[in-house]
Amino acid sequence: MNPIITCTNLTHHYGKRLIYENLNFSVPEGRILGLLGKNGTGKTTTINILNGYLRPSSGECTIFGENIRHINPITKQRIALLIEGHVQYSFMNIEQIERFYASFYPKWRKEAYYELMELLKVAPRQRIANMSCGQRSQVALGLIMAQNADLLILDDFSLGLDPGYRRLFIEYLREYAKSERKTVFLTSHIIQDMEKLIDDCIILDYGKILIQQSVSELMNRFKKYTFKINDARSSLPANDEFYNPAVYRGNGELFSFQSTEYVERYLGKHSIEYSQLKTEELNLEDIFIGLTGKY
Amino acid sequence: MIKAILYKEWIKTRYLFLLLAIILVAFTAYCQLRIGKVVSLRGAAHLWEILLTRDHTFHETMRYVPLFSGILLALFQFVPEMQQKRLKLCLHLPLPQSRIMGTMLGFGVNLLMALFVATYLIIGLYLYHVLAPELISRILLTMLPWFVAGFAGYAFVAFTVLEPTWRRRLLNVLAGVAFIRIFYLSSYAEAYNQVIVWLLIITLALVGFSFLSVSRFKDGVQ
Repeated sequence: MNPIITCTNLTHHYGKRLIYENLNFSVPEGRILGLLGKNGTGKTTTINILNGYLRPSSGECTIFGENIRHINPITKQRIALLIEGHVQYSFMNIEQIERFYASFYPKWRKEAYYELMELLKVAPRQRIANMSCGQRSQVALGLIMAQNADLLILDDFSLGLDPGYRRLFIEYLREYAKSERKTVFLTSHIIQDMEKLIDDCIILDYGKILIQQSVSELMNRFKKYTFKINDARSSLPANDEFYNPAVYRGNGELFSFQSTEYVERYLGKHSIEYSQLKTEELNLEDIFIGLTGKY
Repeated sequence: MIKAILYKEWIKTRYLFLLLAIILVAFTAYCQLRIGKVVSLRGAAHLWEILLTRDHTFHETMRYVPLFSGILLALFQFVPEMQQKRLKLCLHLPLPQSRIMGTMLGFGVNLLMALFVATYLIIGLYLYHVLAPELISRILLTMLPWFVAGFAGYAFVAFTVLEPTWRRRLLNVLAGVAFIRIFYLSSYAEAYNQVIVWLLIITLALVGFSFLSVSRFKDGVQ
């Protein structure tokens, strides 16, 4: 599959603070990729760089093969952007904003927009500024659907949405992206709903990419191991294959892509007396915490 | 696409346009009423005498109205763009950045121009009935710096609002205050006749400073 977005050796600093260094990733065509990370790991920074709103310290990004700093207006027509907080022209009403955007996009689908707007219980001439957060997000989503772009970039789309509406948004978006073969690159710090939406994920830690792979592979391979340690004073020696190993009141836990046999060998090798070794399957949120830690 | 940008600008500014039109008409009417009062009480000859011998044009009340109009228009146009960094939406539109900003600024300049030209026409048409062409020209030329100051106010407020950092905004405000002060240094009639064309050219060039602010915004300067 052709990469739609490619970032090579991307490095960015705010002043002297390093956000990340030599980030490399690509987003294949027709996939939904989620950029996940704790606050301050550089998710919005990456979105800003991709949209040309921030000049990176070094490195290069391309979208549809064009350098993002000099992207052609025709190519821009193929990219839909959702800004963090569903920001839109709040001084317009539903009709005005549709009329405004329609002339910019040749594949504009007015009916897709109004289909979604029918779900809103607002007057067509109500200003967006006077709508609830959920309603505003629906307007922003409706505009993205109507634009009928090949690539959707959504920055923290779940911000401010209640759980019910978040679920609706996700179902609608996934169905749309899959049926129309759209590529989606999105960020969110609410992980719990993401496994229903994204195909692949990149998990950012401070300064680097921790992992980039498909969600299904990650959920199949990444496990949590818990066990009782007979000597409560024992600690778990460091091992590159384990994420966030910890012992608390005689209860040991660690996260790993490795098998149960590997964990048993490790505990045996370090003469750690243990019992009740259990393997837990994890959801995406637990995987995220397992990889990045609770703090 | 250009029409759509103009449509957006119109939605932001239409009520202000109406308000400014009312304010300008009200001030213009007030000034003409003062002139009418002098003519009816002391005769046209007395009015001519005042205009010729004293530096009084009966339009001094309007001194800061164009400046106020320019500042308000720039605020109404560009503050909504900078709230929640909404300018990103604009810059994401499939048009060259220079054309998007050029259209927005051109809209503002032309809207001001329409208001100011209409004001001038109303004043000129009224005075045509009571004054000789030389005296009408004296009044209009005396007022011209105030109207150019309106464009300067627009240019500097746009430049300042679109600037992404507060420190630089403060510098822009200081530069703006210093430049606009030039238009109000002298209260003598026709004091700016020798330099007004240059001031107008410089002012229109200053409108272009906003491109610098947008460029800094796009580079993510914080």
